[in-house]
Order: sequence, then structure tokens, then C-alpha cells
Amino acid sequence: MELIDRYVYAVVQKLPEQQRNDIRKELYGLIEDMLEERSPLTAPSREDVEQVLQQLGHPSVMAAKYRGHERYLISPALFDSYLSVIKIVLMAILLSMSVVFVIDCIVEPAPILDHFIDYLVSLISAGSQGFVWVTVIYAFIDFGAHKKYAGHGDMSKKWSPADLPPIPDPKSQIKLSEPVAGIIFTVLFTVIFMFGSELIGAYRFHDGLVTSIPLMNSDVIGKYLPFIGVLGALGVMREVLKIIVRRRTLTILIFHICLSLLGLVFAAILLNTPGFWNDDFLSQLQAVGWAPQGGEDYENLKSIWFAVTHNLIYFIGLFTIIDLVSEVYKWFRIRMPEESGATTIR
Amino acid sequence: MADVAETIQGLLSELRRGTIIIGVLSQLSDPQYGYSLVSVLEEKGMSIDPGTLYPLLRRLEKQQLLESSWDTNEARPRKYYVLTEFGRAVYSGLCREWRELTASMEKIVDLEGG
Repeated sequence: MELIDRYVYAVVQKLPEQQRNDIRKELYGLIEDMLEERSPLTAPSREDVEQVLQQLGHPSVMAAKYRGHERYLISPALFDSYLSVIKIVLMAILLSMSVVFVIDCIVEPAPILDHFIDYLVSLISAGSQGFVWVTVIYAFIDFGAHKKYAGHGDMSKKWSPADLPPIPDPKSQIKLSEPVAGIIFTVLFTVIFMFGSELIGAYRFHDGLVTSIPLMNSDVIGKYLPFIGVLGALGVMREVLKIIVRRRTLTILIFHICLSLLGLVFAAILLNTPGFWNDDFLSQLQAVGWAPQGGEDYENLKSIWFAVTHNLIYFIGLFTIIDLVSEVYKWFRIRMPEESGATTIR
Repeated sequence: MADVAETIQGLLSELRRGTIIIGVLSQLSDPQYGYSLVSVLEEKGMSIDPGTLYPLLRRLEKQQLLESSWDTNEARPRKYYVLTEFGRAVYSGLCREWRELTASMEKIVDLEGG
């Protein structure tokens, strides 16, 4: 009977491929047995079939009983924070793309429709990238959590009460605003680099016209787009970890150190790529009359430009080191009282 | 106010869940297929939903308490389950635990409820 086929199909569809055939045969046998019991002599009516299927229950519930356990890409424990992070990331993308769009329109007012189409296209592309990255990050964290805490899919792994995490010291707690700001900043930075690097530069408003002189060469940056994307995703991942754990831990510290060093290496590679800086920056400044045409002033400006572009990486390195030292210091400051506190236990 | 009968039903189904496994194991010294097991248990006063029993049989097989074989000689192919050696040992152990459990429950219920 067609109804039975549909029921069995609905159950079996939600089960692993290898078990389907066996369970299908078993279910057909069961349903026929149940029908036979209802009307041993006559062929079962549609009503009989409906009642038997009702008795067996909803196909999804039936399939869940066969599976024995539920599986998630992102488990319910993490789903709420996943939703919030998705919202934050998408809002940050919308915000930064809108900033790029507005600046684009001001700099080149003529083809506003083109800008708008560009804006929509990149919004969809950046939005779906953001969505995918956040989902991947969460699935990854969830997978790690399952492996760490749940051995072979159950909670049978031995634990001792000594493993219980301490109730976080208020000092070690991370305020929610910190990772949220971190996500927004990371997304802004990534989006502007990926979609609007040509807009970073000097602007000149003149007779209602705006001319921009880009500081960097967007073609060169274009070659590194995937790396920028991955770095941005890792940056968001760090903030997501903070949102989930909500306190300073060694894992987060190590992640932060690795990511900062990775960022530093990437910055060094990027800044050393020939043609990264717009070599015509100074002559373009001269052309709009912002830089002196020659003489000592120009030579000074030239040497400043030279010094900045050649030494920027050292400044970035210095700031990275300062940041790392302060993070390590913060972490140690939290550790110390905890350990001395343990000796004065009441 | 919560309905007394309804609450009892809810708690009772929780209570029964574990006993079903003992009931199923008790009847599988000789091979049986799922639906015949439903009727046998019914006769003995243990009602079990086939939608619960069938997945349970598979689970017990996966835990190596039962083994199964398809009988295709009859008009309708049926999967027969029977206790394994391991299943037998587990069953007798469970029975022992069950007797202890019921004995201590008797005492508790007698004291508190009687």
C-alpha cells in the first residue's frame, strides 16, 4: 500500500545509508504483522493502515529512536552564541561595506548605479563568506568539544572532581563587550582591506569634486586576498572562543600569541612585496598641489615617506610585542593570586 | 494543580523504561522476531510499543547482547533475535540485581507507604 511505502520511506530517509535496507525490511514486516493482527482474514482497509501507522508514531521520532542519539553540526549548547555572533558579523559587514560604498560614491559620484550594484554584489559575497566562516568556526569548536569531553559519543569519559574548572575570578572574566568589539573591528578591517583598499589614502575636495590618492596598490593587495580572509576568520575565531569561554585561559592566550605572530609575518611579507606602496603617491600629491614642487621641503617629505614606508613593519612589530607582553602579564597576574590563595584555604 | 493521574503516568513510563530491557532479554533464550515478542510480553502483562521495541532490539544487538538472523523461508521475511552468550551472562546478572532492588524497594515502600 502506498501509504506504508511513504511511511517507511520517511523513516528510512533519516537513517544512515548502511542501515536503511535492513530497517526497511524490518519495518515492512512489522507493519504487515500489525495489520494481520487487526484483520486476520480480510485485506486491510486504508483506515487500518492509518491506525497502525499512527500507533507507530511520527516517522521522525521513529527514526530518532533508531539512531539512538542526535547529531548536530552546532550543538544546542553553542547555538545561542552562534546566532549572536552571526548577527554581529553580518551587521559589521553591512556597516563596513556601507562605509566603503558611501566613500566610493563621494569619490566618483557619476555612476552611482554601478556603485550600488557593486555594493549589493559585494554585500552578498561578503555576507555569505561571513556566514560560512562563522559556521565553520563553530562547527570546528563544537567538534573539538565533543572529542575532548565525550570520548566515543557519550559522557562516559572518566573525570575527577579536581578537573572541575575554577569559578572564574572576576579579574579573569572577559567582559562581553571586549570580544564583540573585537569581532566588529576585525570584520571592519578585513572588509576594508578586501573590498576598499584603494580608498585608503589622501582626499582632496575641490570645486565639488573629490580626488583620492591611494596610499597602497590595490592590485598587489588583491593577490593576498585569500590570506586576508583567513586571517580575518582566525581573528573572529579568537573572539568567538572568548565569547564561549568568557575568561582568560591559557588556550586563548596561546591562540592570541600564534595569531599575532602570524599576522606579523603576513604584514612583513605584504609590506615587503614590491609595489605594495603607491610609488607615485608623492608625485600625485604634487599634481594636486599638496606637496611642494621641489626644494628642501620636498626632500624632507620624501625622506619621511621613505622612512615611514620602510620602517612601518618595525612599528607593527613593536606594537605586537607590547600587546603580547601585556596579554601575558595580564594572564600571569590572574594566575598568581589564585595559586597563593590556594594555600590560605579555609 | 497538576493532575495526579497524569503525573503518575509520566513517572511510570520512566520507571518502565528500564524494566523493558529485562523483559525483552527474558524472552530471548529462543529466537523470536520483533512482533511475536510484543504479543508474548503483552500476554505476560508487559505492554510495549513496537515503535520502541524494534529500535531497542537493534541497540541490544549493537551492544552484543543479542544476535540476529533473517528467516526468509516464510511468506514474510522476518528478523529473529536471540541472546548471545554475553547476553545470557548480562541477563542473569541483571536478574540478580533486580531481585535485590525489588527486595529493598519492598522494604522502603512498606515502611513509608504502609
